[in-house]
Amino acid sequence: MTLSSRRLLGGAMLAAVAGFALLGPLHGADPLRQNLSATLLPPGAGHPLGTDHLGRDMLARLAAGARLSFGYALLAALAAAVPGTLLGLLAALRGGWPERLLLGLADAVQALPALLLVVLVTAFAPGEFLPLYIGVALALWVEFFRISRNTAAGVLARPQVEAARLLGLGTGHILRRHLWPEVAALTATLFAFAAGTAVTTVAALAFVGVGARPPVPEWGSMMTELLPYHAEAPLALLLPALLIFLTVLGLHLLAGRERA
Amino acid sequence: MSLIVEKLRIRGPEGVLVQGASFALAPGEPLVLLGETGSGKSLLAQAVMGTLPPGLRAEGRILLDGRDLLPLPPRERRALWGRRIAMLPQEPWAALDPTMRAEAQVAEVDRLVHRHGAAEARRRAAARLAHLGLQGAGRRYPFQLSGGMNQRVALAATEAAGAALLIADEPTKGLDAALRDTAGALLRAEAEAGRMLLVITHDVALARLLGGQAMVMLSGAVVEAGALPGLLEAPQHDYTRRLVAAEPSRWQDWPRRPPGRAIVEGNGLHKRLGGRELFGGLDMSIGEGEVVAVAGPSGCGKTTLGNLLLGLARPDRGQVRRGAWVAPLGLQKLYQDPVAAFTPHQTLGQGIAELRRRHGLAEDRAAGLLPRLRLQPALLGRRPSEVSGGELQRFGLLRALLLDPALLFADEATSRLDPLTQQEVMALLRECVEERGTALLLVTHETALAEKAAGRVLRLGT
Amino acid sequence: MGGLIRVLGGRAVQAVLVALLVGTACFLMVRLLPGDMAYRIAASRYGYDLVDGAAAEAVRQELGLDRPWPVQLGAWFGGLLRLDLGVSLASGEEVAEALGIQLGHTLLLSVTALLFSLLIGPPLGALAGLRSGGWWDGALLVLSAALRALPAFVVGIGLMLWLAVEWEWLPVAGVGGWREVILPALTLALGLAAASSRVARDAVAGVVASPFFGFARMKGLDDATAFRRHGVRNAAIPVVAYLGLQLVILIEGVVVVESLFAWPGIGHALVHAVLGRDIPMVQGTALVMGLLFVALNALTDLACWLLDPRRRAA
Repeated sequence: MTLSSRRLLGGAMLAAVAGFALLGPLHGADPLRQNLSATLLPPGAGHPLGTDHLGRDMLARLAAGARLSFGYALLAALAAAVPGTLLGLLAALRGGWPERLLLGLADAVQALPALLLVVLVTAFAPGEFLPLYIGVALALWVEFFRISRNTAAGVLARPQVEAARLLGLGTGHILRRHLWPEVAALTATLFAFAAGTAVTTVAALAFVGVGARPPVPEWGSMMTELLPYHAEAPLALLLPALLIFLTVLGLHLLAGRERA
Repeated sequence: MSLIVEKLRIRGPEGVLVQGASFALAPGEPLVLLGETGSGKSLLAQAVMGTLPPGLRAEGRILLDGRDLLPLPPRERRALWGRRIAMLPQEPWAALDPTMRAEAQVAEVDRLVHRHGAAEARRRAAARLAHLGLQGAGRRYPFQLSGGMNQRVALAATEAAGAALLIADEPTKGLDAALRDTAGALLRAEAEAGRMLLVITHDVALARLLGGQAMVMLSGAVVEAGALPGLLEAPQHDYTRRLVAAEPSRWQDWPRRPPGRAIVEGNGLHKRLGGRELFGGLDMSIGEGEVVAVAGPSGCGKTTLGNLLLGLARPDRGQVRRGAWVAPLGLQKLYQDPVAAFTPHQTLGQGIAELRRRHGLAEDRAAGLLPRLRLQPALLGRRPSEVSGGELQRFGLLRALLLDPALLFADEATSRLDPLTQQEVMALLRECVEERGTALLLVTHETALAEKAAGRVLRLGT
Repeated sequence: MGGLIRVLGGRAVQAVLVALLVGTACFLMVRLLPGDMAYRIAASRYGYDLVDGAAAEAVRQELGLDRPWPVQLGAWFGGLLRLDLGVSLASGEEVAEALGIQLGHTLLLSVTALLFSLLIGPPLGALAGLRSGGWWDGALLVLSAALRALPAFVVGIGLMLWLAVEWEWLPVAGVGGWREVILPALTLALGLAAASSRVARDAVAGVVASPFFGFARMKGLDDATAFRRHGVRNAAIPVVAYLGLQLVILIEGVVVVESLFAWPGIGHALVHAVLGRDIPMVQGTALVMGLLFVALNALTDLACWLLDPRRRAA
């Protein structure tokens, strides 16, 4: 499969999930309203995707979960990408002690696996969203920092930059024409991966109960709630898993190249 | 023992790449295929070996000891490798397993191809290495050996395989002059030991070293053939003539000019790199309009010296002074690999326009230089990777000349170009020196080139 | 030897960083926690019924909770240095003692998972790399892309429902004989194998296309011999080097997968401690998980050092 068709497929998957998230509310059901006389219904009139064990509308809950995951992933990835990339460029251009300091900081953050760091941060206030954002952004900025710093440092060591300096073209030119085109391409790829990591992290933490908690309609916590009913309502358990899969696969395909 | 190639044609999807080459090879007398990049000479070797890239087809006959190789199924051709036909690798340091000791890479041929016992194989390998002057190197890994030593290890492994036909494709690629001479002597010894030797090269000096027969190829066709060195002494075809004339040793001496005011002066320069002293207490100055060459083998610190003088690196001790009259951007540089000296993210025209705006230069200056450097204006719309190496090097020159430099530092600027292109770029540099009075600092590993061009040659690392 | 010492020295620094990071985070947690810390600690010691203001005051005095916070931070790290991890606020048992038992379970799980993943990933990847562009290469790309898009808990649920509930081949969860370890280990292994198979595929494809492999064939070695002599070790070097990075997948997976399969290891305990705000336990479990990560990384460094003569010479 070529790069562009891979990206197209990924974009289509994401567009499908996003469309689902945005069009879901048109159905009109409240994702939180319970109806204990209509639990675990199969898809049918009134509930296009059935109901869960408390009689809540699955379509409304899944769409709300999609909005939550998308918004969360974008915000967390953005909060990591912007400072990470800028600091990386700064470190490469400036060198000296600021670069050593930032590299040491990056080492410190990456001493722990990312999820462990996020769990530690969420331990300050389990079940709340703010520590989740902070934790994921804190764990992810390092990758942006490293990739932009390493790429920029590599480009700066090339003859093309030496030649530009000899020709009297300033730092602005070097930043615009030499560094940014290469850093931007890698940052865009990394952004898609980071958003994917954010989606899975939130779902995984919610699944074990450390992140979002019921009744918040989050994909991971929905799966925790529905796991005991896997025999009666397999579809209700499958749907959130399918949405996570489509979103993350879409992001990975959109990223284009592979991550080692 | 013989190799006879009859009317060998190689076709690709876009037409004929090599047309009707015929030659015969006998033990003891090397055959050299001379030609520039893209002339199809490597395809010929690949056709004999049976390693043509997918999509290419060979027609005609390739008779090894009377048997036609072309109709044979791949398995049977593969079975000839090592035992009957061997190909010396282009870059031996890349062709040896980086994780295996040298001796083991030779001994495995005796053990696994010729089924000798382990002890016997080791003994034979040690003898082969010793014969090539590599006593005691067998326990070392390729990364602990020099380029020339790696080449000998590869040769020992090839000898162990025992093929009667030896093909060497660009065996001197990436080697400096001294190593090239050793490699040439080693190959000639192979032929004298009774092997059939086919050497493919663009290096006229190597052909002269090898002797035997030669064929000159130009865009897929053999234009001239004959015995060496006669073919090179009295070339018939125009292309061969130009190829021979392009050898630096055949160039005319550049006119010597008295140096004017000092542009840069280095006093008592010391520099260490990678724990090794490159030079200690070196004095050097370059005057206006002067041509100075720095020559020496790879890794002797030639480029570093130039960079010190340009202020791109600092000496550990000593100082570099620049003439007060020299403009801030008055020292410019041409690079060994021109592609690496341009940002790939803009067209050549955009790059020049940006330079012009930055320094407020008149618009017609670049336009006026283009024909002077024999560059088509249409090239301005292309990116650096979309023009040839020679064209790009001339753009490098153009962009430097826009700033009216007092000194141009040409850092092996022609070493990666084909001989004819090298001659052309050097001729342009000479015109710069003569017409503009630009001083030139040449860093090169080619002694002949340095001696022809420079009024003063500084030899490093000897 | 110098190279090895430098690499392992780097890992020692990483271990210290882990301790500093976890220790500081947990100290801050105590300071920022709502409610009276001394009261909670006293309650964990004597039980909620028996606790009163005086007992809490005694704890406050004893632990020095009324001293200025830099002094307390120093004391906190002093405790860490003496390997005094404190007492669980939830169960009242020694944290170090609980960790000892949990670590055994986690080690069993992660080592089994690593073994499984090495049996699955690199061989499948190598097959794809030997015929890059072939049908298996394409199939493996799709398979690994799909697996990497699935979080470990989704894979775990899938395996659990399929192998344990539907087919009843394996126990659903818990701990006991060797059968219990298979499902969680397989879950972790699949995630790891998805990543390592790609590295192995690229490494093998790179080796097969390399000039030294070509030259080995030109010397007259047949393909199988050439690959055995020159392919395996050279392809293994990047696979092992990347394994160090991919251990993140393993450690992160352990936290989630242990919870899913009720496997009484460190990850499970960490989640419980976070939920119960049992800070000494959070600190102990996070510390041990982090150090396990560092130790496994040090092992891969050592393997790389043994495999690659260039590193040994450096």
